[in-house]
Amino acid sequence: MSVSSSRKITLILGAELEKLVTLPLIWLTLLGTFILNLVLAVAFTSAGLQGAAGTQSILKIGLASMVYLQAGFIILGILATCSEYTGGQIRTTLTTIPWRGFQLSTKYLALAIVTIPMAFIIAASGVLSAFIMMRDTALVIEIDAVIKPLAGATGYLTLTTLLSAAIGALLRRTTPALVILLGHYFIVSPLLRDFLSSIKNYFPDTAGYYMYMPPSSDEINVLTPMQGTGVLMVWTLIFITVAIVFYRKRDA
Amino acid sequence: MRAFNAELSKLFSLPGIWLAFLIGAFAPAVIATLDSTAQKEGIIAGVSTRLSEVGYIGLALGVQGVIILGVLAVSSEYLTESSESGGGNQITTSLTVVSSRFHFLLAKASAVTVISFQLCIVAILTTVSATNLILGEYAPAFESSRLIGAVCYWIFTALLAFGITVLTKNGIIPLAVLMINSSVVTVSYLLSKVTKLAFYLPDKAGLDMFMFTSDRFHTPFTGGLIMFAWVAVLFIVAAIVFHRRDVTS
Amino acid sequence: MLTINNLVKRRGTQEILSGISFKARPGRVTGFLGPNGAGKSSTLRILLGLDRATSGSALINGKPFAELHNPLATVGAALDGFGAHRMRTGRAHLRWIALASGLSRSRVEEVLEIVGLTDVAGKRIGNYSLGMGRRLGMAAALLGDPKILVLDEPVNGLDPEGIRWIRTFLRERAESGNTVLLSSHLMGELEETVDDVVIINHGKIVADGTLEEVIGNHSTLEEAFFALMSENSGNTA
Repeated sequence: MSVSSSRKITLILGAELEKLVTLPLIWLTLLGTFILNLVLAVAFTSAGLQGAAGTQSILKIGLASMVYLQAGFIILGILATCSEYTGGQIRTTLTTIPWRGFQLSTKYLALAIVTIPMAFIIAASGVLSAFIMMRDTALVIEIDAVIKPLAGATGYLTLTTLLSAAIGALLRRTTPALVILLGHYFIVSPLLRDFLSSIKNYFPDTAGYYMYMPPSSDEINVLTPMQGTGVLMVWTLIFITVAIVFYRKRDA
Repeated sequence: MRAFNAELSKLFSLPGIWLAFLIGAFAPAVIATLDSTAQKEGIIAGVSTRLSEVGYIGLALGVQGVIILGVLAVSSEYLTESSESGGGNQITTSLTVVSSRFHFLLAKASAVTVISFQLCIVAILTTVSATNLILGEYAPAFESSRLIGAVCYWIFTALLAFGITVLTKNGIIPLAVLMINSSVVTVSYLLSKVTKLAFYLPDKAGLDMFMFTSDRFHTPFTGGLIMFAWVAVLFIVAAIVFHRRDVTS
Repeated sequence: MLTINNLVKRRGTQEILSGISFKARPGRVTGFLGPNGAGKSSTLRILLGLDRATSGSALINGKPFAELHNPLATVGAALDGFGAHRMRTGRAHLRWIALASGLSRSRVEEVLEIVGLTDVAGKRIGNYSLGMGRRLGMAAALLGDPKILVLDEPVNGLDPEGIRWIRTFLRERAESGNTVLLSSHLMGELEETVDDVVIINHGKIVADGTLEEVIGNHSTLEEAFFALMSENSGNTA
């Protein structure tokens, strides 16, 4: 049994990967995010060129576009789960793989496998373009100091994608999922930050912010990157669990 | 007129339209409430620099409702996510019922305009009462000229969403672009730091109709005109593309 | 062998299935017949583990669908609609299904050949006609070469050639010992294809037996069907 079930995992993971890879919308989203991020990184850099120099500011400016960049990954996550409900594909999925909790978990895994390298490339391209434009101000860039925030940014984008996928799986419809997530990340959360400063660090987006932003001395009550990761991970796991529970219970 | 009535009834029977109505009617009031609460002390002490924005900020940030409305009005014709139907192409039915594509588009745009107008009136009512409730005697006066500007901004935004969705046939892109660009820190704002041309973007110009902020670039009238020009151009392009393409492609 | 035992399904206050029982046996084509909204699709969806039964059971070789070890090789199912994302190509759709069950890519080409979709396999499913979508659904059902076929309205949207192909194909499958359960509301078509008939109306079984038994004294299956329907509604009225 154990042999066959480990083989099953490989097979189903392969199928879920194939589903993601053969969906043109996924690639269009990633490509669009990549291009937009470059444009924004250039805009941020030229807006910030007057400011201070050095590795820290290159990182800050290179990662400033993350705020918008995350929208692409939110869309990616929603597409991955909501695409099941287009054209009744869910029926085919569940008659092929009737083990629902297992199937949805594998989908998250496949999504993470696709997202991690893409998130890294896109985040790195922003920092790199900032570096190229600002290389007069900083001759050497410390690799160590760059890798950590980039790893944090990759982790943040991946977890955000998974969180969005979980919400997409819960709601099953692209439009409400998109409205709720974009509404939270771009409107509700920035507005509430001023009011709920005591708990704002426990929002998924503000906690995740500390995963990649280099700490600045003028801010109080900040989280360490590890704490930020922890908070965001808890949110993601909660939503994934809720999504799986509902997915198992309801009629397809 | 019959086509217009049909489009109205189609819009009201959309699943998800409740989201547009709910957000459209109440989001501006909630945002205005939050902002007023935050500004209250400053305003009472007479040191607030943002008195001219209080209340209106709700109407500026709360346009999501009509964005959703404009997008759904078109995207629902192309795709429904249902486990039963094999992907509903309602557009085929719509175009056999109303044979002229131009009339179809016009009727739909009119329906979106009318509903956006009504939503904006409701939003103004809720926002003004919320601001007055919080700030009491310190609440700013709401001049009708600025409120008319806000109404125009809402309608134009809805029509922009509508036009972009006709071109993309898919709701995701217009929804993402417009929602992010009506958020607290917009891409247009960022671009305006880089080039003055960004002040001619529709949302940046349109906000000048009623948001009298310090970095204002246009007069309310030119701002409105620029935004209207964007809507008109987009609508013409959308009408041409829609006229030429095969329904099923 | 498919066994439906005292199946009840409620949605809200509405009772869609009120305790239906029947069997589909190996070596026979069983026709599942009834007017629109009678509960045919609901029964098949529960059988395939898509919907949950309020009570009762629907078993495949004595097991519920979710407990099958290799579902694709046991039951091939084609429900109404395409069951596929419109942006994918037909070949890509079949490939992920094959991957999930550990089948080879050459098997995908085989079933494409069987259902006659080889020429359009590289096109997006959104561009398929209704008939082509049905053929794609059949291809997915046949992928694992299953002993049991469950088909919802298989001839819906097919051209005359396709209908004839389905008819002979299903007869051949049954004669080589497989189980076939198909739902339909096309009487003439069913009469030429099926061995056994189950008729459902308002969530209740109103007739169950061999084709000859169900037709009885009537001249055709259609006559028998309408006689049963009027009798049934007379009872409930």
